[in-house]
This record gives sequence, structure tokens and C-alpha cells, in this order.
Amino acid sequence: MRKLVCLVTKDLVSEWRMPRLWPAMALVGLVVAASLTLPLEVLPEQKRQLGPALLWVAILLAAMLAVERSFASEREEGAWEAVRMYPVGMGTVYLAKLLSNALAVAGLEALLFPLFSALTDLPVAAHPGGLVAVAVLGNLAITSLGTLLGALVLGLRHLPGASALLVLPAGVPVVLAAAEATRLAAEPLLAQAFWRWVQYLGVFAAVFIAAGIVLVDFAVEE
Amino acid sequence: MHQPGETPGNGDGGLPTKAWDGTTAPAEPPPLEAIGLGRRFGTRWVLWGLDFSAPAGQCVAIIGANGSGKTTLLRCLAGLLRPHAGQVRWFGHLAGKVELRGRMGFVGHESGLYAQLSVLENLRFAARMYGVSDPAGRAEQLAAQAGLAAYAHCRVAQLSQGMRQRAALARALVHSPRVVLWDEPFVGLDTQATDWLAGQLEALRRRGCTLCFSTHELHRAWQLADRVLALSAGRLQPASPPDASPHQEGAGVPQATSPPQGLVKRLAAAGCRVAGRAA
Repeated sequence: MRKLVCLVTKDLVSEWRMPRLWPAMALVGLVVAASLTLPLEVLPEQKRQLGPALLWVAILLAAMLAVERSFASEREEGAWEAVRMYPVGMGTVYLAKLLSNALAVAGLEALLFPLFSALTDLPVAAHPGGLVAVAVLGNLAITSLGTLLGALVLGLRHLPGASALLVLPAGVPVVLAAAEATRLAAEPLLAQAFWRWVQYLGVFAAVFIAAGIVLVDFAVEE
Repeated sequence: MHQPGETPGNGDGGLPTKAWDGTTAPAEPPPLEAIGLGRRFGTRWVLWGLDFSAPAGQCVAIIGANGSGKTTLLRCLAGLLRPHAGQVRWFGHLAGKVELRGRMGFVGHESGLYAQLSVLENLRFAARMYGVSDPAGRAEQLAAQAGLAAYAHCRVAQLSQGMRQRAALARALVHSPRVVLWDEPFVGLDTQATDWLAGQLEALRRRGCTLCFSTHELHRAWQLADRVLALSAGRLQPASPPDASPHQEGAGVPQATSPPQGLVKRLAAAGCRVAGRAA
């Protein structure tokens, strides 16, 4: 546990000193949000349908950037080799990276949820508890998958952006589930369907995290 | 070049794996051992049938031409590359075991440090990861020993190559490893830093640490190491001393030639001393 905290703290301090993740993530989120302000003839009801989907597409893209750049810091100065020599299991290293990336994406969610809510008139504050559950589980599902694939491509020096491409196929179902759950969270009453989508997100998160812990050793092996 | 399919023989110049002093094998397994080690990149076997053993407290230098596989060998010995044939063993166990990593230290071509953290922060981080009891105290002690006390709070990104090498060594020694593997420690260093590094390697030897490093500097290899091995055609052979003829069979690396006389005279006129010649 102490080593996990140590790894996460190191990532947060490095990011604070030289922000790599935040500027790029915020830019992606704001660009996607800006698309909602385009003078297209979209009915308000259609905007409320479209908003959650665009929100989670922005979060997915930003999360892929976060993962890519968080591993870029390990590539510098050969720090990843040093990490692999420490007496700590790769599962712990994976969890630490996952937490660091999830915290970065959580910060972005805190920015984008109110922004999208304002742009689409979607009353996301109707059920804050439900919305927080969707945000947390969707975040964990996307970042756990991205972190595993980021570790996989870390050794592929000639394909630095490959993790983003690999995340897309498995990330789409997560985006669909999260978008639908977010839309339903804005309804006056939380329908049964909302909890079903939240369960899907929970399953995605649990499966991807378990797969990450188990497979990361094989992913980083050269 | 040896090919797969050949019976992998003893790739350590015909020497059987035995204790350094030539007596029968010790009861304790050697800290570092490779048995029939093979590693390929694509279809090209860089190492094949390589046998190597470093008893406790021995310093081994590995020399070889560019592309001969020195870095590949050291990374296999460090457990960073999985062998495609044979085994690497640490203290008799398969390399890479998490419980044994605390006994190993490795310094590669790069420093292994985080550019945005200071020297002290990097050393404290490494000390915590190795479970050192007083990480802050140990970090300060090592920074002082490495001559980095004045730069302890500078970020690694701001350090020169020589300072990074010092910090890299300090990081590799933070947990007092029993085995240190170092890939080309003298590359890119000035004379002062090189002398300091040679002193550190000598100090590690005196402490009984098992050392294995690769280098292009023959005289440093022979000066510091108990045994010098040349890596050629994927296997290790005993290397010839630097005063041997460069054309002698078995010499692993071509020897340095004398500088041109005109250059020597100009350097002497400027007050410089060329190695081995009076100004």
C-alpha cells in the first residue's frame, strides 16, 4: 500500500511540475463542447440526447491522451526500466498508474459535466448521487483499459500513439453505457434502466481492472 | 555466427562454471549466472548458448564491438529481457523474482530518474520503493557521497550528463545491492567524472559487491575488473590484455593506435601531455 501511494504521489508531483495531461485533456474537452455551440439546426430535445454522448466521447478521447502522456514520463530517462527493477509487483504499478490517470480524468469530468449540462440544458444535478456513480465507474472502466494498453505499447518505441487506437474498440461499449446512464440520470425519476446501465459500467470496470492486474506482467514483458 | 540447432556449448571461453579461486564449486549458488542464454531479435540471434557466472565479490567487465550484444546481455542478466533460450539465475533462482530484486542494482544507458523530480526526491522515491528504513536520511547520505549535495534540490532535467550519471549510480545503490549491473558507465563523461566513477566501482568491489559492467575502454576494464570477457558472435570469451597485438586472435576489440606525430607536437607546444609521452 505504501509503495502504491508512493507511485501515485510521484505521478501527481511530476504532473504538477510539468503539466502534460491537463492542458491537452482540457483542450479536447473544450473543443468537443464547443461543437455543441455550432449554429446547427438542432432541436433542444435532440441536444439533450446528443449531449451525454458527446460528453463521454470527449472523456474517452481525453482519457486516451492522459494515458499516453502519463507513460511518456516513464519513457524519459529510462525510468520504466528502473520501475521494473524495484521489488514491487507489476500489478501494484498498474494500479498506481490507473489511480493517477483516473484522478486526472476525474478532474476533467468535474469541468465538463457542468459545462455540458449548461450547453444542453440537461439537468444533471437532478440525481447527483447517481451521476457520481456513472462518472466514477465510467472513469474507472475507460482508464483501466487505457492503462493496460498504455503499458503494452510502452515498449513499442515506434508506435507511441498506438494505445489510443487500441482503446477505441473496447472503449465504445463503455461510452455507450455511460452516455445512456448519464441521459437517464437527468430524468425526473431514476428508471430501472438507469441502474441496469450502471451495473454494466460496474462490470466493465471490474473486468478491465482485473484483466489489467493479471495481464500487466505479460504486457510489459520484452 | 553460431546458429540455433547447434549444440550450445560453454560460451565462456571454454571455462567451466566454477568458483573464482579455481576450487570446486561453492556450496552457495553464484549471485549471477547465465546458462545457455539465447536472445533473438526477429530471426537474428544476438546471444546464443552463452554461459556466464560471476561469483560473489567478483568484478567482470564485458567488452565488445558496437552491436555485439553487450546491452542485450546486461538487460537479460538484469531480468529486463526474457531469454528465448536458456536461463538467467540470481542466487540460484530464476531472474526477475520480485523478492530478489532488492539484491540487484542496474544502471542502463539512461539514468532511470524522473526529469521533473529533484535529485533528493528521486533518491527518496527509490529508497521507499526498495523499502529502505530511513528513505530521507539515506537519500541525503547518497547525494553527499555522489558529490551532489549542492544539486540535491535541482531537477534532474537541469543536470549535466556527468551529474546524471552520479545520480543514476546513487539511485542504483540506494538499497545497498549485492549485485550491480552497469551498461557502459563511462560514456559521455569527462576525466574528472570518469575518475570519480572508477573510484566508486573500486569501492563497490572492496565492499564485496558483485559487479558486471560493459565498456569500450579497455584500459578501464583491465584496471577495474577481476575478469574481462569479450562478447563476440553471441558468446563470451576471455579477452586479451590491451598490450597484446591488435591482430592477435581472440582479441575482442581493436586496440587504440598512437596519435599522429604532428598532432603530438602541436599539443606539446600548447603545454598538453599526451598519455605516455612527456610534454
